[in-house]
Amino acid sequence: MANCAYESLTTTVRNRALIPSFQRAASNVVIRRAANYEQELEAVIYESLLEFALPVKDKVVLLKPNFVGLDPLGVMNTHPAVIAAACESFLRLGASEVLIGDGPAMDRDTEAILESVRLREFVRSSERKFVDLNTDDVECVPLTTKASRLKELYFPRTVLGADLVVSMPKLKTHHWAGVTLSLKNMFGIVPGSCYGWPKNILHWAGIDNAILDINAAVPPDFAIVDGIVGMEGNGPIQGTPKACGALIFGDDPVAVDATCCRLMGLLPERVKYLAAAGTMLGHVRVDRIQQLGERVEALRTKFRVIREFDSIRDAA
Amino acid sequence: MDIEPAEDLPGFPTGLTSDHSFPKGVCTPLLRDVQNSDGGWGFRSEGQSRVEPTCWSIKALTALAHADNADERIIRRGLDFLTRAQLADGSWSAAPGEKTGCWLTSLACWVLIAMGDEKYAKAVAAGLRWVCDDWPRDSTWWRRSIRKLSGAGRYAKQNDLYRGWAWTPGTSSWVEPTAFALLALENQDLVGGDLNAPAEKRRRLGEALLYDRMCPGGGWNCGNPEVYGVPGEALVIPTTWALLALRHHPDRRENKESLAWMENNFTKIRGQASYALARICLAVYDRQYEMRAANADDDRDSVRSVQVLAWMSLAAGNPRQWLTARTSL
Repeated sequence: MANCAYESLTTTVRNRALIPSFQRAASNVVIRRAANYEQELEAVIYESLLEFALPVKDKVVLLKPNFVGLDPLGVMNTHPAVIAAACESFLRLGASEVLIGDGPAMDRDTEAILESVRLREFVRSSERKFVDLNTDDVECVPLTTKASRLKELYFPRTVLGADLVVSMPKLKTHHWAGVTLSLKNMFGIVPGSCYGWPKNILHWAGIDNAILDINAAVPPDFAIVDGIVGMEGNGPIQGTPKACGALIFGDDPVAVDATCCRLMGLLPERVKYLAAAGTMLGHVRVDRIQQLGERVEALRTKFRVIREFDSIRDAA
Repeated sequence: MDIEPAEDLPGFPTGLTSDHSFPKGVCTPLLRDVQNSDGGWGFRSEGQSRVEPTCWSIKALTALAHADNADERIIRRGLDFLTRAQLADGSWSAAPGEKTGCWLTSLACWVLIAMGDEKYAKAVAAGLRWVCDDWPRDSTWWRRSIRKLSGAGRYAKQNDLYRGWAWTPGTSSWVEPTAFALLALENQDLVGGDLNAPAEKRRRLGEALLYDRMCPGGGWNCGNPEVYGVPGEALVIPTTWALLALRHHPDRRENKESLAWMENNFTKIRGQASYALARICLAVYDRQYEMRAANADDDRDSVRSVQVLAWMSLAAGNPRQWLTARTSL
């Protein structure tokens, strides 16, 4: 896309200096058991967040779930019960406001998607606002990592202005990227009103490289993965539901995604974008991740991948 | 919970949800109130002026003005914003400050053409010329060869000889930008003699692409009728635009199947955007449909989106008229 100068710096641009992963302290990841969406999730999420001492008091928190399409059966999108429980947990921790925002990639009728996932039934209070990131006001941000050929991207001002961005994907395999977790979920902040439905410019830039550029420019501060029921096979839309019974938390999205892969019986080092992210955005290596809560082995559930990704399966 | 951010459109009057009262009682006052000082409209109240909601606001107000002769000044200011937003190469971009044009060039041309005003002829000609020159990057000979050699063709069932339009330059053909380009190029006489033949060629390829990308059983999604052997599911919004762009072929099997899909799914529609566009589609094809009971909560949420408000207003009007008429204020 063309030159883009900052029009204004009225919003906080979240672009941070990249620190090579080998210079980072070890990352913490918490795994909690959660058998279904009917159980009390708020206590599970609140207690897990306490482990991280997140600086959320009086801050604006943006929850970024994964809403990919109309989903009356609740198999492809982040479950609203998890979103609602996260909302309440961040408010209990002192957040001044909790926003929920996404920019679905395939269907521009975001309201219809919200209806199909029954978000309003779960998140009732009018103080929790949903922001359609596809049509939010935008600001241009240069991409400093240059993993892809993209030089800059427009991002929603709501994302750039939030104090804490929480990526909340569903635990899924992906037919082009191998897995779609908290890093890939950030594709949803790229506005459809600028790039279309789907955001095809990211595919042409190379999905793996675009994931790196987006997460370097607008790094999520925290990740909560809905792994209660995930998706295997031909994800992210046409796969098969797969119960895993887990919620995964962490302040290093790379470490969270690597742990999720291990939970799914996949090798994170062989997921191309995760391997690259492990050199600059966070930790993939198991010896650099401090595991809290449940052990991976206790909840490991082998997820099927399409044939093209046989190489990322952990044969062990 | 609210569907849009904190800023609500001001002054939503409850109880004005019947078809006749909506455009005049709700749409005009709200669109008037939320027009920005630069003449454009944002996707919501006080949002950045953007080309897309400005186009739809102009379209909706013009449809009303044609009946009532109302608020010409607002429309003129919107048109001024639109013409100022045109880039030097004739295209329109999607975001403030963006210097590369995109699919919105077709939409802007379509809106300006409908004004039937000679003063926009030059802008329209430049825009349509850009549309004719904007080839997608997929399905070039080189890309088709790579796809064939790599075996990637087995992932998605589609004929790569057809070429439509992309959302942004240098990417692949998709249903909605192709449909809007076809709508704009219905007026290819405005392009100029030297581009008549290329425009006609592109229309033929574009129509063929839309038919090729129809989902099994009718209707369209963004443009993936089948991936890894799994049929794609149609969606209301792309189906509407595809059927409007292909409305000159009402007797084709694909049109009939897709209209049947729309009719069968009409009562299941939840979002106001999809509902408004489905009504437009069925009205253009002269199909009867049963209006659903007005739900004030739904309306209140939806009118926070300026664009959806405009679509709702257009649905309540006469789609056959505003789809093609050249109106002068």
